[in-house]
Amino acid sequence: MTNLDELLIFSGLSLLALFFARKSLMLRQLAPVLYACILLILIKMSALAYGGAIETSSFTIELLGFEMSWRFDALSWFFAVITLIAALASAVFMSGDWARYYCEQQGEKGLQRYGLLHLVLMLNVFTMLILLASGDLLSLFIGWELVSWASFWMMALSPEAKARQAAVKYLVYAMAGAMALLAAIAMIYAAGGTLQYGQLVAVLTELSKTQQIVLVLLFSTAFSIKFGLVPFHLWQAKAYAYTPGPGAAFLAAISSRVGLYAFVVVFVQLIGFAQLHSLDILHSVWLNIQNILLWIAALTVIIPTYIALQQHDAKRLLAWHGIGQGGYMLLGLMMFDSIGTAGGLMHVFNYASYQAALFLTIVAVVYRTGTSDFNKLGGLVTQMPLTFLVMLIGIIGLAGLPPMNGFVSKWMVYRSLLLNGQPLLFVAAVFGTLGTILSVYKLIHNTFLGQLRLEHQQVKEVPWSMLIPMLALSLITFITGFMPGLILPWIASIQQSIGLPVIAYDLGGIVYDKGGLDMIYVCMVMFYGFGVGAVIFYFLGGRSKRVHQYDNYAGGHFLSSKVRYHYSNNFYPGLMNLIGPWYRGSVVWLEKAVVSLVSLASNLFEHMYRSRQPVMMLAVVMVFALFAVLVKSGASI
Amino acid sequence: MNEMALLVALPLLGAFLIPVVARISDFAAKLLGPLIILFILGLCFSAWNALGSSATAIYLGGFIPPMGITFYIDQFAILMSILVSLVFLVIWPWNKEVELREYSLYLLLLAASFGLVLSGDLFNLYVFYELLAVASYGLIANQSKHRGLAAAVTLRFLFISSAGSVLLLLGIAIIYTLTGSLNIAHLAVVAPEKLHNLAGFSAFILIAIGAGVKAEMFPVNAWVSEVYAVVSKPLAVLMAGLISKLAVILIIRVLLMLYQQPEALQFLLIVGVLGVISGELVAWRARDMIRMLSFSSIAQLGLIFIAFSIAGEKGLWIGLALMIHHLIVKGGLFFLAEKLNGSFANLTGCASRSPFAVALFVLFVLSLLGIPPLPGFWIKLALILNLAAEVDSMYFYAIVFILIATVIEAAYLFKLITRMYQIEESQQLLPTSHSSSVKTSENRLYYRFAQLFAVLLISVMVFISPIEKTLFNIARQSSDVNFYIKTVFPGYYRSHAISKQQTDPKQLSPDKRGETS
Repeated sequence: MTNLDELLIFSGLSLLALFFARKSLMLRQLAPVLYACILLILIKMSALAYGGAIETSSFTIELLGFEMSWRFDALSWFFAVITLIAALASAVFMSGDWARYYCEQQGEKGLQRYGLLHLVLMLNVFTMLILLASGDLLSLFIGWELVSWASFWMMALSPEAKARQAAVKYLVYAMAGAMALLAAIAMIYAAGGTLQYGQLVAVLTELSKTQQIVLVLLFSTAFSIKFGLVPFHLWQAKAYAYTPGPGAAFLAAISSRVGLYAFVVVFVQLIGFAQLHSLDILHSVWLNIQNILLWIAALTVIIPTYIALQQHDAKRLLAWHGIGQGGYMLLGLMMFDSIGTAGGLMHVFNYASYQAALFLTIVAVVYRTGTSDFNKLGGLVTQMPLTFLVMLIGIIGLAGLPPMNGFVSKWMVYRSLLLNGQPLLFVAAVFGTLGTILSVYKLIHNTFLGQLRLEHQQVKEVPWSMLIPMLALSLITFITGFMPGLILPWIASIQQSIGLPVIAYDLGGIVYDKGGLDMIYVCMVMFYGFGVGAVIFYFLGGRSKRVHQYDNYAGGHFLSSKVRYHYSNNFYPGLMNLIGPWYRGSVVWLEKAVVSLVSLASNLFEHMYRSRQPVMMLAVVMVFALFAVLVKSGASI
Repeated sequence: MNEMALLVALPLLGAFLIPVVARISDFAAKLLGPLIILFILGLCFSAWNALGSSATAIYLGGFIPPMGITFYIDQFAILMSILVSLVFLVIWPWNKEVELREYSLYLLLLAASFGLVLSGDLFNLYVFYELLAVASYGLIANQSKHRGLAAAVTLRFLFISSAGSVLLLLGIAIIYTLTGSLNIAHLAVVAPEKLHNLAGFSAFILIAIGAGVKAEMFPVNAWVSEVYAVVSKPLAVLMAGLISKLAVILIIRVLLMLYQQPEALQFLLIVGVLGVISGELVAWRARDMIRMLSFSSIAQLGLIFIAFSIAGEKGLWIGLALMIHHLIVKGGLFFLAEKLNGSFANLTGCASRSPFAVALFVLFVLSLLGIPPLPGFWIKLALILNLAAEVDSMYFYAIVFILIATVIEAAYLFKLITRMYQIEESQQLLPTSHSSSVKTSENRLYYRFAQLFAVLLISVMVFISPIEKTLFNIARQSSDVNFYIKTVFPGYYRSHAISKQQTDPKQLSPDKRGETS
């Protein structure tokens, strides 16, 4: 039995175990242990991440004349580790006091629903592992569908009617994506009669250019929908915002990244840079697939980030950022050089670490206050200092500022854009970062800073069962920012295995002849600066006095707790004056147009079926068919 | 092998005997039908073993074809007969207080079904088709639940269905005028010469549209949603699951043996695609369970037509697999619809009342959509990939439409399913006409049947590989025109073909016809 067999069988058995334990509270101890065990098996396979050989599974299935096989390479391992870390953090978070809270929330069937949440989380992990292990297009498709349905189930767990709507919307998008993938697979099969990865390249060269473009468009539609690229991003924020608690943290951290995984496998590993770069539309050298994807990525960085800026709900704000951050990953990946692809791939890990932590802080805030609405929060920093710390670290990472890991990956992407002569894309990326900084400030200000509401005076810090996973994720965010060399070997090994130029690194960061990055040095300088500042502030400054949180004044007036000055509406009035008119919702319009079109066609057919004279219909059809025969007969019969 | 004729004779005899037997004992009359079906099942299984991979023809009354009545028996026919018997066994009005004539009608329907499966000539196909139609009018009109509505619906169904029969008869008449024969094997020999012309092709169109009325073919299927709304669930299972398939088989027999040419296949492809698209679109707007299932059934039949439009054995096995899959899935869904009945508004939150029924519903729906690893996925995959392998670009557009239709299908089915799982506070305030509150014995029985179909579906999933191989072998055998001709005319064909080849070298021999068309 190979390591991969062990991994898949064990996670399948874990799923069964959770199924049978779903109605007992033993689940709370069992689930984290199971995730830890799966993580251990992955660590056993860690040779993959340091240039080891591909792990294959001894299962193969032959059906309909296709052979399906499963294997793990450095890329799969990388994504699997992220999946397991996110799942472990979510499971630990769920297993403590949050469990009681959730059961009470859900009413009489609380325990059952809580068990279901654990079960579905494990199902998500299991299907992710199956997808990551896929060794040919058919098993890729099967894994793809399974992951989509597992995340649909996770989203549909919330009992609210709106959540169900969001989940169904996701499902329709996901089905459309899956069908696009199926169409692409059918095209490949028609051209080459095979679905093996290895043969894809040979098949591709046999197709005409138009067919190649259609094929690539079908693939990219499928992957973009799951990944949430503009203009297929509309499902994501709503669906994730309604997903119950830690489930949302897991989904937001990794689930939609399977889109990126597929991009890497199909576009980078199989089709490759040269092919993508030479596929141009309308005979314009500039309008090639690579450039189009780059600009879609840039739009994905900008548009959702600025939509996030307008949100009044913490979960939604984070979910919109999730879409925007995906843009950076694709931006780096599509540069096809060592530093850009490394940045894009590393961003998956970094993003997952702080996004999971951020979502968990919001869940923690909801646990204590019952809401994630910015207009009903504020000033919680004195009440929940550690949660505040986690969020602070998280947003520094999300905004891509040192010393957190988000800075490292974003720096690499910027660097690659500049070095490869893409100043416009660089500006777009920086513009996106500006929006990120503004909106994460809104996030932390409206939850933890500013005015504490009267009803939140008794709020306490969340229990340790919830703090530990959050703090652990923050620690990862910091450590991998301080020493990116811990992660970079994995990235280098991926680059090597999929045939990209390999990045040179050391513990502190990147070694590059045109200017590398040493995070240890950067952090030391930063801490030194902060240290000097602290010395000046605490020891050399004038007298200071502690004041109560409610002891405020503005415009010469005292503000008591009864005066509400903490709000989220029109948070950046000056900025909105400038960019407000750009919010048009044009993609929403596109979605509505498609629905109307379907509705119209449906109406037409329904009228046809409602006809009062079915026999007349029969006669008409017969005449038409015979007429068609007559017309055709001149040509062929 | 001659005892296979009993498949038609016994149920017919039983249908006439039931009133007589009922005079002696009511119980015996009730038992007669199931006994006949069980006996026939036994016959079928023994024939399956005896036949192996060969086939045989029965000449009724000893007339040698092309004269007389011929039954053609191969694995395909036996498989269909087994399915027919099993379905009838399930939908038999077991514990309902029904009038005796309903038993007779069911037995008539059974005889007609076997006749359609086994007949080797066009005239008998027509006769059994008519018998099927008449028996089904009787059954629909006899629905005790909505007697008045049933009569009106039956009348409308009767109009369109008999118009369809007329077209079918017209088509057969044209074929007879062109060739002077109605025996399928004989027709298969002469088809390339006499039928592949304008008149012959019109005959095919007429047959396809005529039988298409029962096969729920676009656009002569307006009756579907009306009829399924008034009939009882077992009858709906029978009509959607089985009778529509038998009409398809009639069309396919004609297509396979006489018209393996691109025009006929394209015709099926076009009506199939239109059926899929229109069915899914109208189902998308449906607001009650039965209407949704009816139009989903139209779409599935469209998919079956698309499958048969792939030439040769590949199309046949995929179509066959789709038929069986649809039989299981729609059967299960219609039986569940007894429990999950009514408009969608009434179904809100029903998962909390009957969680297992809704779980079964989800299982069937997932297979219907084609989600791995359920059987529906493999069949759909095979269909898509084989369509992609066709050269004609029309097949590629068909793929596009199928995929779009699948997305629409997922949208409406899961809108309903999430509604079922919704938690509604104001639920108790609504006046519910929900039938699950009424726990009748019928209700429970249908629910058991739904469970049975689910078990079947799961076992198909587990044994997908051997089932695929069996179906493929069956399809290879029954799509082989030569094999059919040889079986029916052991001596005649060889001499005929040889002499023809010698006299007219331009005439294609039947061996190569499949490849060149």
